[in-house]
Amino acid sequence: MVVVRRRWFQSPWEFREAFLVTAIAVIAGFIIEYLGAGRGVPSLHQPVNAIALAIFGVAVLGVGLAFRNNAVVQWLGGIPLGLALIFAIAVLSFIGGVLPQGEAAPDSLSALLRINQIFSSWPFALTVLFFLANLGFGLSWKLLPFKMQNLQFILFHAGFWLALACGVFGSSDLQRFVVPIEEGKANNLGYSMNSDVPTKLPFSIYLENFSLEEYPPQLLLYDPQNDKLLVERSQAIIQVRKGVTASWKGVNVNVLDYLSYGLRGADGVPQPADQTAGIPFAKVQVTSNGTSFDTWISTGSPMLKPDAADLGGILLIMVPGSPKAFNSAVSIQGENGEQKTATLGVNQPLSFNGWKLYQMGYDEKMGRWSQLSLIEVIRDPWLPAVYLGLFMIMAGNILFFWNGIKRSEVS
Amino acid sequence: MVIDFTTAAILAIACWALGSLLDLFGRKSAALKLPAFLLSIGGTFIMAAYIAIYWSYLGRPPLRTLGETRLWYATLIPLAGFLVEYRWKIAWLKYYCMGLAGFFLVINLLHPEVFDKTLMPALQSPWFIPHVVVYLVGYVLLAASSVAALHNVSLQLRHKKNDAGETAAHYLALLGFVLLTFGLIFGALWAKEAWGHYWTWDPKETWAFLSWLAYLGYLHAFRYKIDRSKLQWYLALSFIVLLVCWFGVNYLPSAQNSVHTYTQS
Ligand code: HEM
Repeated sequence: MVVVRRRWFQSPWEFREAFLVTAIAVIAGFIIEYLGAGRGVPSLHQPVNAIALAIFGVAVLGVGLAFRNNAVVQWLGGIPLGLALIFAIAVLSFIGGVLPQGEAAPDSLSALLRINQIFSSWPFALTVLFFLANLGFGLSWKLLPFKMQNLQFILFHAGFWLALACGVFGSSDLQRFVVPIEEGKANNLGYSMNSDVPTKLPFSIYLENFSLEEYPPQLLLYDPQNDKLLVERSQAIIQVRKGVTASWKGVNVNVLDYLSYGLRGADGVPQPADQTAGIPFAKVQVTSNGTSFDTWISTGSPMLKPDAADLGGILLIMVPGSPKAFNSAVSIQGENGEQKTATLGVNQPLSFNGWKLYQMGYDEKMGRWSQLSLIEVIRDPWLPAVYLGLFMIMAGNILFFWNGIKRSEVS
Repeated sequence: MVIDFTTAAILAIACWALGSLLDLFGRKSAALKLPAFLLSIGGTFIMAAYIAIYWSYLGRPPLRTLGETRLWYATLIPLAGFLVEYRWKIAWLKYYCMGLAGFFLVINLLHPEVFDKTLMPALQSPWFIPHVVVYLVGYVLLAASSVAALHNVSLQLRHKKNDAGETAAHYLALLGFVLLTFGLIFGALWAKEAWGHYWTWDPKETWAFLSWLAYLGYLHAFRYKIDRSKLQWYLALSFIVLLVCWFGVNYLPSAQNSVHTYTQS
C-alpha cells in the first residue's frame, strides 16, 4: 500500500489544520490578555448580549446551510476541528482545575495572562466561541432537512449549544447578593462580592425567627496544657446518647444519662429545660486505672461555661454536634405590595418575583443562639434557556442509552 | 447493629477470595463453576446487606464520606465484573473487580474514622442519591472499560487481535459516558438548589467536566472512524482523569476554596 502524505492545507483539511487553527485562537487569546494587562472579557448586559448571541446563532446557521458544500465550511463544522477544540477546552480547564482561581498579585504573569481567572479570559472565550461555531455548523446540516433518525444528534448537540451559549453569554446578567438580617428586623440591602456599597433590592425581607438544629454532641479527650485534642486516627467519632460507651487507652467512658436540653437546677443537678435556654448534658461514668466515678459534663454555650470531667490533667469534654439543619422564617414584601411568608432552609430555596432566595449562613460564633441570618438572593434571567439545554441533553442521553444497547445486540 | 463492619468486610473478602480460587482451579471442571459463582456473588450480597443495615442504622444513606462511597464501590464493582462475564464472556475481569473491591474494604478496615454519622445540611437533598449513585455506577463501568482497554493494549503488543475485547471496552465506555452525563447534569441541578448557581468552575466541577470531555473526545474520535484498536490506549488512560477527579482534587493547589471536596473526617 502506498501512503500518500497530504501536505499542509491541501484539501480536505483535517486534524493538522484543526489543531493549528485552534492553537492560534488560544494563543491570540493570551496575547489579547497580555496586551490588556489581564483585564478579561468585557461583560455584555441585557439586551446587548442577547442580541449578539442571536446574531451569532443566525449567522452560523445561515452560513452552515448556504455553504454546506464548501470544503472549508465542512471542515469548520466537522469532527476533527471539534476534537481539537474539545482538547483546547480541556487544556484550559485543566489549568483552571489545577491552579488556584481567584486573586493574584496584579503584575504577576498569572494575572497578566489571566491564568488565575481562566474561565473569564480571552483564550477561553475565543475557544468557546469557536466551539459554538463548530457545533453550530455541524448542527445546521442535521437540523435541515429534519429526519427522525437525527433526533438524538440534535438533542445532544443543540442542547449543549443552548446550555453553553446561554450559560456563557448570560453569565453577566447573573445577580447575586447576600442580605444579612437580624431577628425581628427587615432588610432590603444586598451586598455583592465585588463592592462594599450595598445595592437596594426590589423587595425587603423580614426575619421572624432563625432556628438551628444540631446533631448530638461528641465526646473527645482534651489536653489543656498543650491545647490539643487527643484524637487517635483509628478512633471513630462518638455521638453521645444514653448507653453509649467509648474507650481510649486506659480510659473507659459510659454515658449513663443524656439530656438534649438541660440546665442545672438549684441543687446543681441538671434538669430538662426548654430548647432555647437548655444545653446538652451527659452523665458519664469514667473508669481509669481501676477507679471509677461519675459526673455531669456539658457542651456549654455562648452564655454558659462548659463542664468537663478531669481525668488527672486530661479532660473529657463534650463538643456540640455539627449543624443538622438551619432555617429562617421570613416574610417578603415586594415593591408593589406583594407579600410572601415562608421558611427558608438549606436546599429549600424560595422564589419571589424572578428572584430566588437561599438560606446561606448565620453567626457561627453564636451557633444555635444566632440572631442573625444570612440570606443569599439570586436572579438569573437566562436560567430557563440553560435548563432547556440540559433537559435536551438528558433526553438525548436516554435515546443514546437505548440505541447503544440495541446496537450492541446486533454486533 | 446486627453485624459490624469488620465482620461483614472479612466475610465478604473471604467469599471473593474463595470464589476466585475455586473458579480459577475449576476452569476445567464444570461442577465447580456454580459453587464458585455462588461464593463470589455471596460476598457481594453480604456487602449489600451490610449497606442496607448500616443505612437504616444511620437513618440516612451512607454516601457522605469517601469511606462510605468505598462501601458502594466494593458492592457494585464485582457486580459489573459478573455482568461483563455474562454478557461478553470475558472471565478475567471479575477477578480484578473482586480484588479491587477487597482493596477498598481493606482501606476502610485500616481507617475506621472515615465513618461518621452526620450529614451536613447542603447534602440533605433529594438530588443527592441519584447524583452519587449515577456517578458510582458510571465510574465502575468506566473502570471496567479502562481495564478491558489495557488488556487489549497488552494483547496488541503481543500481536493478537481481540475484537470482542474492543467491543466490550467500547460499550462500557459508551454506557459510562451516558451515566457521567447524567451525573454532571444532576450535579448542576442540585448545585442550583443548594448553592444558588448551577456551575461555578469549582475544582471538583472542573475535573468532572474534564473527565466528561475525555470520554466525549473518545466517542467522537470513534465516530470519525479512527481505527478502534488505536483508541485502546486512550481509553485505558482516560480513567486516570476520573481518578484525579475522585480522590486527587483534594490535593491540588486549586482545592483551597472548593466546597465539594469530600470531608475526610
Ligand atoms: C465540538 C463540536 C462537536 C461536533 C463537531 C460534533 C459532531 C458530531 C458528529 C458529526 C457526530 C456523528 C453523528 C452521526 O453519525 O449521526 C457526533 C456524535 C455524537 N455527539 Fe457530537 N459533536 C460535537 C460536540 C458534542 C457535544 C458537546 C456532545 C455532548 C453534549 C456531543 C455528543 C455526541 C454524542 C453522544 C454522539 C453519538 C456518538 C456515537 O454514536 O457513538 N457532541 N457528534
